[in-house]
Amino acid sequence: MSDNRYSLNEVLKARKAASQDKQVQSGEVKLDDLSRVKVLSPGRQVFKRFIRNRLAVFGSVTLILMFLFSFVGPLFYPYGQKQIFYKYEPRNVDYGMVKENTAYSGFDIDGGASVERAVNNKMNSIIKNMLSAGADVDYIQGEEKAYRIEKLADDVYLASAADSQEVCFYGSGEAEIGTYSMVGKKLDYIHDPVEGLEDAVRDAIASDAKGGTFELNGTTYTYTRGKAKSYAITASFDGVQYVGEPLDADFEAALDNEIHLDGTGFAYNGEDYALAKDGGAWHAYRLVEPQRAKVYSRLTNSTYESGASVSPALNLAALLATATGGSFEADGQSWTLSKEEGAWLVRNAAGDEFMEMTPFSVRRYDGADTMEYGLKKALTEKALEMAASNAKTGTLMYELPMQTETGEYVTDEAGNVSTQQTELTLNRSQTGEYVVKCQQIIYVINMFDAPSAEHILGTDGDGFDVFARIMYGGRAFLGVIMGGLSGYYGGWVDMLIMRLVDIFYCLPYMPIMIIIGALMDAMRMDTYIRLIVMMAALGIMGWASVARLVRGQILTLREQEFMVATEATGIKVKDRIFHHLVPNIMPQLIVQATMGMGSVILTESTLSFLGLGVKHPLATWGTIINSVSSASAMQHYAFIWIPVGLLICLTVIAFNFVGDGLRDAYDPKAKR
Amino acid sequence: MLKYTAKRLVYSVFILFFVMFIIYVLMYNMPSGFVETKARELASRPGATKSYAEWLEDLNAQYGMDKGVVRGYLIWLGNAVRGNWGDSWVWNVPVTVEFHNTVWYSFALGLVSFILEILIAIPLGITAARKQYSFTDYFTTVVAMVCISMPTFFVATVLKYIFSVKLGWFDLSGMQGRNYMALSDFGKFLDVAKHFVLPLITLVIISIGGLMRYTRTNMLEVLSADYIRTARAKGVPERTVINRHAFRNTFIPLVTMLGGTLPGLFSGALITETLFSIRGIGYASYTSMTQADIPFIMFYLAFISILTLLGNLISDLLYAAADPRVRLS
Repeated sequence: MSDNRYSLNEVLKARKAASQDKQVQSGEVKLDDLSRVKVLSPGRQVFKRFIRNRLAVFGSVTLILMFLFSFVGPLFYPYGQKQIFYKYEPRNVDYGMVKENTAYSGFDIDGGASVERAVNNKMNSIIKNMLSAGADVDYIQGEEKAYRIEKLADDVYLASAADSQEVCFYGSGEAEIGTYSMVGKKLDYIHDPVEGLEDAVRDAIASDAKGGTFELNGTTYTYTRGKAKSYAITASFDGVQYVGEPLDADFEAALDNEIHLDGTGFAYNGEDYALAKDGGAWHAYRLVEPQRAKVYSRLTNSTYESGASVSPALNLAALLATATGGSFEADGQSWTLSKEEGAWLVRNAAGDEFMEMTPFSVRRYDGADTMEYGLKKALTEKALEMAASNAKTGTLMYELPMQTETGEYVTDEAGNVSTQQTELTLNRSQTGEYVVKCQQIIYVINMFDAPSAEHILGTDGDGFDVFARIMYGGRAFLGVIMGGLSGYYGGWVDMLIMRLVDIFYCLPYMPIMIIIGALMDAMRMDTYIRLIVMMAALGIMGWASVARLVRGQILTLREQEFMVATEATGIKVKDRIFHHLVPNIMPQLIVQATMGMGSVILTESTLSFLGLGVKHPLATWGTIINSVSSASAMQHYAFIWIPVGLLICLTVIAFNFVGDGLRDAYDPKAKR
Repeated sequence: MLKYTAKRLVYSVFILFFVMFIIYVLMYNMPSGFVETKARELASRPGATKSYAEWLEDLNAQYGMDKGVVRGYLIWLGNAVRGNWGDSWVWNVPVTVEFHNTVWYSFALGLVSFILEILIAIPLGITAARKQYSFTDYFTTVVAMVCISMPTFFVATVLKYIFSVKLGWFDLSGMQGRNYMALSDFGKFLDVAKHFVLPLITLVIISIGGLMRYTRTNMLEVLSADYIRTARAKGVPERTVINRHAFRNTFIPLVTMLGGTLPGLFSGALITETLFSIRGIGYASYTSMTQADIPFIMFYLAFISILTLLGNLISDLLYAAADPRVRLS
C-alpha cells in the first residue's frame, strides 16, 4: 500500500481518467439522455427494494432451504415418515431362572394304585406338614381309600393306597343309632345293628315312656320321644368303640397316643391305621394291603449332555431308588444312584455321569431346557451360596455362546459354538426365585436414538408444509371474494357480510380449534381426513380478518379516479371488482398471507402438541415435541425436541421477515 | 358518541347470539361427549340395571340434551339471560362457582404479565425507533420477531428444561409445592407466586414482541412527522422532542391497543395454563372442552366473546377519546 492512496489529488485524477475511459467506450451521455436513467418495471422495483432488506433475504433463503428440506429432501432421503427403525443392541436381558422347587409333583407308578383327586391335591400340604413335624410316615383317609405316605429320601415321598376298613370309633360325643317304633316294636338302625339294644330299649320304654337313659355294654343310650309313637335313640360315647373285633389294650394305647398328638395314623402290629377326625370324635381305619401308587418329588433332572431326554420310567426308577441308593434297572439298562454334595447323581452302566437330580430347577427364561449342565451347576451353587449368605444379588462369570452383532451364534471351523466369558448376575426376587441376567444381543425397536446420519429431522418436515400452504390458499381465496363483494357493493350486502365477518372474528380461535380437535378425537377420524378437516377449520376461522382487510382497502380505492373511469366506461361489475380492484389490493393480500402462514404454523403445532391436531403416524413438528413431554424424556432426549422447536421458530421467523420485507418493498413510504 | 356506542352494543348482542349458537351446535354434536361417556360408565358398572341405551336416554333427559339443537340452545339462552348458567358437568359445581374459583388466578397471571410487558416493550420499542438502523434497532427487531415466532409450548418446554430440569429452581408444573398445606398464609402466597414465575415468563416472552414492534413502527411514523422536524429546527433539546412531542403522539395508538387488550386479562391463558397446570380459567376450560362439558364451555366462551367485543368497543372509543381528529359514526 503506497502513500498516494491518501492523497486526494491522486485519487481525483485517477477517477477522472476512469470516467473518461468509460464515456469513450459507451459514447457520450448527456444529462437529459433517456438511457442515463435506468427505468425499472414496478415488479423489478419491488424486487430490488426487497432484496436490499437483509432480513427479508435471510427469510427467503431460509424458506427456500426449508422447502427443499421438506419436499425435495424426502425424494433423496431413504426413509418415510411412518417408518419404524429396528436395531441390534446388547441388552441386559433375563437370561434364565434358578428356582428352588417348593411344589411336589406326582409320578404314577406303572401298575400301581391310583390316588384320588382330593388327596392328590392335598399332597403338597401333607408333605409340608410332615416336613415341619419331622415325620417319616403319614396317613390320610380319603373318600374311597386310605393312603400312607412315606418318605423315601429327602424331597422324595411315596404314596401307597389301600382299601380301608373301619376298626373303631374313639371319642366322647353322641351318635344317632336309630329309631324305635312303638307300632312295629322294632328298632330301625341307621348303621350296623347293635346286639341286645332292641330289648334294652323296649325295657327302658316300659319303665319310663317319656324318655330317659339306659346303659348297655358300658355305653349310655338316650331315648327321646318323637312323633308318631316313635323314639329316637342316640348313643353317648366315651372312649373306644370297636366296630368289629375288639383289639387289645396295646392298640388302644397307641391309638390314644396318636390322638393326643393330633396325628393322622399309626402303625401297630405290622399293620397301618389311618385316623380321620369327625367332629369331636375319631375314626380309625385299617389299611388293607397297601399298594404303591405314586411318587411325589420336587427334584428336577439336569442331564449332563444338553438336551438329553430322561424317560418317565428312568425318572421313576431313579426316584424310587433314592430310598436305598445303589443300582437300579430302568429302560433295560442298569444305573447307579449315589448322593454327592447334596445332589443325587445318576450314572449309567459304564459309570459315566448321566444326570443329576436337585430341588433346583434351572431354566432359560422362555422355559426351554437348553442350558448346559455346567452352567446349571454353577448357577445352582451360586444360588445356594446366596441363600446361605442371605444375599440379594450375586454375580459369576461363565462361558456363554458368543454372538455376532446381529444376534447369531458364532461357530468355529469345526462347527462348535464359540464361547466368551460373560458376566451373569443373579437377583433374588420376592418369590424366592433367582433371576439370571446377562448381556445378550437382541433385536429391538430403535426408540429415541441419538442423532446420527440417518435420523429424525429429515423425515418429519413433511406433513406440515403442505398443510399450511393448502390451507392458507383456501383462506385467502374465501377472504378475497367476500371482502371484494362487501367492499364494492356497500349497502346491505356490505352490512350482511360484515356482520358475518364480525361473527367469525368474534369466535374464539383457540377454543374452537380445541373443540374441533376433541370432536375429531371422539369420532376416531382417520388421520388424513383430520388433516383436511383441520385445514378447512383453520381457513374458515381465518377468512374473516382477510375479508376485513380487503374491504378496508377497497373502500378507499373505490373513491379513486380510475374506478370512476371504469364506471364511466361501463365495464361490468364483475370485471371492475376482479380486474381493477383486486389487483390493486394484491400486495396487501400477499403480505397478509405471508405473515399469516407463520401464525398458522404456530396454531397447528400447538394443537399437535396438545394432541388435538394431526395424529400419530403422520409427522408434524408439534407431534414430535409432544412425544417427549415428560420430564425425563425432556432431559434425556433434548436432541429431539430442541431442533424441532428451533425449526418451527425459524420457519415462522422466516415467514414474518419475508412478509415485512414484502410490505416495505410494495409500499416504501409506509412506516420507514 | 352515545348513539354510536348504543348501536355497537346492539350489534354485539346480535353477534353474540350467533357466535354462541355456532359453539352450541359444535358442542351438541360431539360424539361420545360427556353424556355418552357417563352413560357408558354407568352401564358398565357392576350391578348396573340399565343398558347403555337406557342410561343414555335417561341422562339426555336429565341434562336437557333431548330437545334438539335449536330448542336446546334457546332454553340455554333463556336461562343464561336470567343469570342461570347451570352446573358444570365436569366440575360438579355451579358454573359461576367454578369460574369464581379459577378466574382470579388467571387475572393475577394476566395482570402481572401485562404490566411487565408494558414496562419492557414500550421503552425498547422507543429506543429502537430513535436509533433506526443501529445495532440496537436490528437487535430489538430480531428479538421481537423471535418472540412472536416462538410457539408457546416451545417456550414453556425450554423454560421447564432449563429452570426445572437442569437447575431445579422451580417445579415442573402445578401451582402448589409439596408442603403447601403446612405453610403460613404468607408462605402459601409465596409458594403460589413461585409457581407462577415460569408461566409469567412464558406469557411475557410470547406477547412482548408484538407490542415492541407496534411501538417501534408508530414511533417511527411520528418521528418522521413535520412537527418533529419543526421542533428540532427550533432547537428543542432532543430529549424534549422525544419525550414530549413524539412520545405523546405515539401514545395514542398505544393506548388504543392496550385498552382493547384490557378485558382479555380475564380470559386466561389457555395454552400456558394447561402446560403449567395452573388452575386458572384457561386450564379449567381446556379440561371442560376435551370432555364436552356444555354448560361450562358455553359460559366460558360467552364470557370470552363478550370480552372480545368489549375490547373492540373500548379500543374504538379510546381512539376517539385520545385523538380529537377521529370522529365516530
